[in-house]
Amino acid sequence: MSRGGEKTGKAFLPKGEAVVEPPSRTLVWGLIAFGLVLNLMPWPDGLLWLVPDFALMMLLYWGIRMPRLAGLGLAFALGLVVDVERSLHLGLNALAFTAAAFVVLSLRRRLEKFDALRQTLQLAPVFVGKEALVLTLGLWFGHGESDWRWLAGGILAALVWVPLAWSLDRLTGRPVEPGE
Amino acid sequence: MSRTPQAPLFVREMGLPARFGMYALLSLLIALVDTRYDALEGARSSVNMVLHPVRAALAAPWDWFREVGGFFVTHGELQAENLRLSEERSRLLILQQDRQALAVENARLRNLLSLPERPGVVGVAAEILTMAADPFSRKVIINRGQTHGLVAGQPVIDGAGLVGQVTRLYPLTAEVTLLTDRDQGAPVLNMRNGLRVLVSGTGSDNLLEVRFLDMHADIKAGDLLYTSGIDGVYPAGIPVAEVVRTDPPRHTPFAKAVCRPIGGVGRFRQVVVLNVQTSVPAVPARQPGPRPTGARP
Repeated sequence: MSRGGEKTGKAFLPKGEAVVEPPSRTLVWGLIAFGLVLNLMPWPDGLLWLVPDFALMMLLYWGIRMPRLAGLGLAFALGLVVDVERSLHLGLNALAFTAAAFVVLSLRRRLEKFDALRQTLQLAPVFVGKEALVLTLGLWFGHGESDWRWLAGGILAALVWVPLAWSLDRLTGRPVEPGE
Repeated sequence: MSRTPQAPLFVREMGLPARFGMYALLSLLIALVDTRYDALEGARSSVNMVLHPVRAALAAPWDWFREVGGFFVTHGELQAENLRLSEERSRLLILQQDRQALAVENARLRNLLSLPERPGVVGVAAEILTMAADPFSRKVIINRGQTHGLVAGQPVIDGAGLVGQVTRLYPLTAEVTLLTDRDQGAPVLNMRNGLRVLVSGTGSDNLLEVRFLDMHADIKAGDLLYTSGIDGVYPAGIPVAEVVRTDPPRHTPFAKAVCRPIGGVGRFRQVVVLNVQTSVPAVPARQPGPRPTGARP
């Protein structure tokens, strides 16, 4: 009986042929939008500097897996929205997001072969570098003083990457390399 | 290996570095325009109009939780609070009577001296929604905006004293830069002796300072600083800060006074945005007289 149910119903985790099917455009953009929603959650006021940039993490995840759907253009647009969300000068996060996407897309071939744990070691400089770029650009564009605690958000993003990428791999059916 | 449907067979586009360079240049251009001009405020408001409902919807469960938590207070607590509030009310009523008498007397004296009237103050009550996630400055978002008649530059106070100033307007919300922001300042008056100084934020939540103070300036710990009203932004007489200590000049020719904000900067949720009616004194009509001649060699 259970075998019959498996044939007709759709499995929660993709199996067999479904694994080879690439994630749809709706799923990819939906999850990136979900990252933006996570950014907008009512985080405690005193700990805002510690909250990782979920929109960037989702963008880079899909940049590695589906570079055609999450490229530089999307990074730029997403960065502008994050600028509005954080009420910064427009363009600061846009540049930082594009730069992070550029680095990741250049290293894509290497990153997609790694599992989440090895990826995070390579992505940590990108996450911290993105925060550093925003803080430095802010100084340059005439904000008085930067709060360098915000770099901690980048480090936390690297830590959160492991469970995030692991669960996204499982939920959206990333093809498992035979070597892994 | 199966080909992904999104990938074109022949790629005809600029290389990755070239595209990155283009976007980077565009970002810098936008940042420059946004720093110098107001041209992009419309775009910012419209994106914010989309983000605001999402943020409000996400915050709603937390607010409900807090309200439900507030529902279960004991009878004893309510009674104690009621007693405290009625005591406070009678105390305030007495002060209010005194104040009315003083206001009438002040108006009469001003009339006698033919001084212009003090600007009136009307307020709009607002609630702080969130702290802005901004690593550069101290701002909060309040739930009143352009549609409620707010204007950029309006002072924001709470029950205790000055909180900050409205610095950016959206249709339904507004950004308030707190008094403790590094770039924020307020002209104040020392209540004890009428010394006029500028108090500025330090970027810390509970510290303000008076920079560039004369070495012999008469200001000491315990002094209360109220707005002086000479800038036309903040009306006179709002409590701003209490002096904690004064630092003698070290390395610089100026002394410094460290103060503590009196208003609940970053503590209270309810604030009032003041609608200051500034009365600009009329320019006296120039007397037609003989032009000074021969003054210039």
